[in-house]
Amino acid sequence: MVAERGARRQGGGFQKPVGRRSNFELLSWFFMRISGLALIFLALYHLVWWNLVIGVEHLDAQVVIERWNNPFWRLFNLALVSFAMLHGLNGARYSIEDYIRRPGLQLAVKTVVYVIVLGALVVGAWALFTFDPATLLNR
Amino acid sequence: MASATRSTSLWNALRYKGREGMWTWILHRLTGLGILVFLIVHVVETAAVIYFPGFYEEALNLYQQPLFRFAELLIFFSVLYHAANGLRIIVQDFWPYVMQRQRQLTWGVAAVVVLSMLPVSWMMLAPLFGLAEEPGYRRHIERCQEQPDAPACLEAPVATTGEVEL
Repeated sequence: MVAERGARRQGGGFQKPVGRRSNFELLSWFFMRISGLALIFLALYHLVWWNLVIGVEHLDAQVVIERWNNPFWRLFNLALVSFAMLHGLNGARYSIEDYIRRPGLQLAVKTVVYVIVLGALVVGAWALFTFDPATLLNR
Repeated sequence: MASATRSTSLWNALRYKGREGMWTWILHRLTGLGILVFLIVHVVETAAVIYFPGFYEEALNLYQQPLFRFAELLIFFSVLYHAANGLRIIVQDFWPYVMQRQRQLTWGVAAVVVLSMLPVSWMMLAPLFGLAEEPGYRRHIERCQEQPDAPACLEAPVATTGEVEL
């Protein structure tokens, strides 16, 4: 027997909603877990390295540029910034959908938050992609 | 409207006795949103290192204020908690039988976070009171022997030899 869409399920919950055939929420659920697992290693390594091994007190542009000179660390940072921004954006979406219930206002707040977060991601990725060690080290 | 029945005052929400599950959920949200706000600032400021080095130096001046050390600690706590609690959620999702032990797992998360925060707090805060070297101090000295002209090496050294500046 095929369950009717939107019908109440025995034992709680509902069948798949009527008319919405998108897997977006399922993919979002998976993405949060995959990116979360990756971020445990990426973000904690990043924090331990810069705050405990190097120390914020000893930072300058040169340290960062020398680090980025290695393509591996540029790739590491690209993975970190992409996963973190998208994981954070999706988390912010959960909160907005939970607390801002008026449709018009919800759309407005979402738009502003999406633009800010994706804008920051583009700025970060752009800096990593256009990084040219040759000119920078001789600055 | 369904949404109207969901609205509840903050006071009522906090009086809800959801115990560990409720508080870990609230803290997961707060730390997540906090990390996102810092992440946006941090990514834009670090991207500036290449094209607007002056702006990057200004940001560093702010980060190197002693008060910011407490913010650093808060970031450490937020990421550690969000990571440990997130891992608990993933484990519970994929191995439903551990759900029966979710309360114990919550206390496990608390223990992991507190135990990791102890050494981290010491390394971050002790230097402020002269009780320990700045994290990475020895590495910094070695670097400055190789690159005496590096910007971080030209700044006034942090209480190395006990010199008094006039």
